[in-house]
Amino acid sequence: MKRRAFFAKLAIDKPSGELRAPVQGVPHVASPGPMFFTNALLRTHENKEVRFYDDLISGKQVLMNLMYATCEGACPLVTSNLVKVHEALKARMGKDLFMYSMTVKPEEDDPAALKSFAQMHRALRPGWTFLTGDPYDIETIRFKLFGMNHIAIDTNIYGHTSFLLIFNDATNRALHVDPMASMSTVLRKISWADPPKTREQIMEENRKLQEQIDKERRMFGYRMNA
Amino acid sequence: MSGPQDKKRKPKKTKAEFELSRRTMLKLTAAAGAGTVLSPMILTSRKSTVLADGTVTEPFLCPATPVPQSPPHTPFVDDLPIPSPAFPQLLSPAPTEAANIANGEAARDPHQRWAEFTPAVTYQLEAKAGTHQFHRDYLPSYIWGFNGQYPAPTILNAYGIPSLVRFKNSLPTTTSSFGTNTTTVHLHNGHTGSESDGFAGDFFATGLFKDNHYANAYAGIDAFGGFPKGDSREGQYTMWFHDHMMAETANNNYLGMNGAYFLYDDKCPPWEFNTPGSIRLPAYFGVTDIPLVLAFKRFCATDTVRGRTEMFQVVNAAAPGTDKFTVNGKIQPKLSVRRRKYRFRLINTGVVLNWNFSLHGPDGAQKTMTVVAADGNLLRTPADVSATSIPNTLEVHVASRMDVVIDFSQFSVGQSVYLKENTQTAQFVATPTPPDPAPGVPIGTVVMRFDVVGNTIIPDSPPIPSTLTELPPIPPAAPGVDPFEWGFRFIPGQADGNNFRVSHSAVAENNANHTATFLPFDPFRVDHAVLKGSTEEWIIRNDTLAGNWLHPVHIHLEEGRILERTVCTVPSATGCLPANRTPVTMPPWEDGNNARRDVYPVPGQHRLRIRLAFRDFVGRYLIHCHNMNHEDAFMMVRWDVVESMAELRKRREQINAERVARGDAPLYRKEDLG
Repeated sequence: MKRRAFFAKLAIDKPSGELRAPVQGVPHVASPGPMFFTNALLRTHENKEVRFYDDLISGKQVLMNLMYATCEGACPLVTSNLVKVHEALKARMGKDLFMYSMTVKPEEDDPAALKSFAQMHRALRPGWTFLTGDPYDIETIRFKLFGMNHIAIDTNIYGHTSFLLIFNDATNRALHVDPMASMSTVLRKISWADPPKTREQIMEENRKLQEQIDKERRMFGYRMNA
Repeated sequence: MSGPQDKKRKPKKTKAEFELSRRTMLKLTAAAGAGTVLSPMILTSRKSTVLADGTVTEPFLCPATPVPQSPPHTPFVDDLPIPSPAFPQLLSPAPTEAANIANGEAARDPHQRWAEFTPAVTYQLEAKAGTHQFHRDYLPSYIWGFNGQYPAPTILNAYGIPSLVRFKNSLPTTTSSFGTNTTTVHLHNGHTGSESDGFAGDFFATGLFKDNHYANAYAGIDAFGGFPKGDSREGQYTMWFHDHMMAETANNNYLGMNGAYFLYDDKCPPWEFNTPGSIRLPAYFGVTDIPLVLAFKRFCATDTVRGRTEMFQVVNAAAPGTDKFTVNGKIQPKLSVRRRKYRFRLINTGVVLNWNFSLHGPDGAQKTMTVVAADGNLLRTPADVSATSIPNTLEVHVASRMDVVIDFSQFSVGQSVYLKENTQTAQFVATPTPPDPAPGVPIGTVVMRFDVVGNTIIPDSPPIPSTLTELPPIPPAAPGVDPFEWGFRFIPGQADGNNFRVSHSAVAENNANHTATFLPFDPFRVDHAVLKGSTEEWIIRNDTLAGNWLHPVHIHLEEGRILERTVCTVPSATGCLPANRTPVTMPPWEDGNNARRDVYPVPGQHRLRIRLAFRDFVGRYLIHCHNMNHEDAFMMVRWDVVESMAELRKRREQINAERVARGDAPLYRKEDLG
């Protein structure tokens, strides 16, 4: 860890016990950091070298899934759903929200293969990076981030293709969702890792939700006599 | 081979760099710890981590690999704590029928039957961070609990007295723990309107509150009058409330968001002397009638600088494996008992594992426990669990409750009795492992110890009656309606996800092959609609092949009767042919002629036929696997109870249309549409 990052971390651990409101871009005081994420050297579909934690995770809100270019089972379905996710969150992508798709077959998938996979699936989009790297590092990341502590699941490299991980290193949120769930569920879960909302935002969202509930009740004649 | 290996790579991180980052981490820990120590604290003999203004310092999670072994503990030093009863209080702003949005109540439908069951008692339970000490040898642990306590205060109430509990969300805005600070609270298995049922999709954010309205009336309000309203044979006595946040239930429950809710009535009053209708079980709360809130935990090494022994949490992973058993929030506690009968209400709060209990005397011989209620419902005939009974152990699956009566008059003063867990990996006690407390009872398998300290002061309750209750007749099957089937399946490496799924089909079409799509839970998708006041037969099946992946299936709103349990003699991952189904003998606490249940344990290749009546309330309800990791992986489905035939038709047509659109057979035949 860099000296500057160390002091940045100290600054947000106020002794009052109340964590300071998280700042996007600055890792949360409890972020497990490279100890958990690893700082492996990876390579993007643009053939650029990146450090996994420092360049991709630190202080950011990110979505991450696993894939491989020749996969014909879940990957195309998942990727097409992720394209929809990207479409829905276009305004934030590349600014305060990032997407990573990492190959589980780094021996086969060089940056060029990843790029053509992305092209084929209309996934060459701002803020969406495909990753490959040393097989050992990839395996380590897969075990650490996608591990379920279940031997049958964890030793099967094809097993995790349908997990979408959601991290926000600035708020220390870590969630996962099945990308095959409905779009509203996926977007809802991503929003749980958003920076904390103000009281006004929460009240406003709650008011809108009530409108939605009332609308459903009118639509189905549901409990109108209640 | 091309790709990364071709290029000249930056050198990998060297060992020195790694060491540096580790040292920095250690420094960071120490510095942050110093900050904690300097802050104004409420001083106790131990370093407290509750600050003067009531806020709680966030936990510092220990590394996930290698998985830590919990610190050692001394067995049987802490007394079993009794959760405090919740105090009724007046609420401000006063509860309202429609959601009080302006004052920060979470969005919901208006309360059903509000005027009929105006709340007579109101409570407030505030979900917030707190600390709890799980053992004398431990420092406090960071928890999330109702009113900051673990277990939450127990709500004690009676049939005929409608209540309202205001659940306030004061969880931290940002947290270092693995919990999610939105919540919805389910009263398991209250007969309540959907807006008070803690539906998984009805979660609300920090700063809001939600009023759950509990009618505390027996099921059958519409059909039976009287006071208390409903069919008194439908009494449920041991319930529990817990976080039901979709996708995050396991984490929030592991952090402590659950508590007990008991109801009393003439049959089970909170006293033991003879009153009309009383079956006179041991009944003094906390004295002779004791909740045992059971949970599996694992802990990080004790951090003396920060003054904490944190619960082990792995961010974004399934709830961790366990090496400590806790009862009412203590590891291996002891309870002083007198030579008389006691009622213990075993509540498995999970989050994923099932218990399998037996009782052992000081000589190691198995002693008798008498099961009087299953999932809060009195059994018609009580059943013994002893060395000679079949089965000779008592399984308590996740979310299940089992009420047992133990008669300590069979022991002499000074003797100790042990509650033993029989199937899970024994807990880690200390190194070296202390000797067995009784022959054949390894210390790690003991959940708690009962010390017989004297003869009874309060007169013993009379013998357990041979008939505890009359059960309502099993609701007759509706003529011409085939059972509906719920399939629970783990689907590895499939295009629609490596996950736990529920699928629903009409049995007539899919007697063997379950062809309907297994979809993940979606709070906005309805998979089945039923008419209020109707009866249906449901089949719950588990297609798991490998091992014995048991799914404790839970159905909201109504208690069901198990008619039949079969196992497949020719295991099949897609379904069992009728000819291959062999009936399995059910224990007395499962058999529909003797018991009513709301948790249905379904091991791999098993198939349960149950019958349910849907009464009194309408709205969104759930059927799901109560292994909380599985429900978080969306092994859960929404089904709705609707008010009118017109609406039933509308909903069922919509369900059929959605199924056809995704390539499944329609669920309802024309005559099922209503």
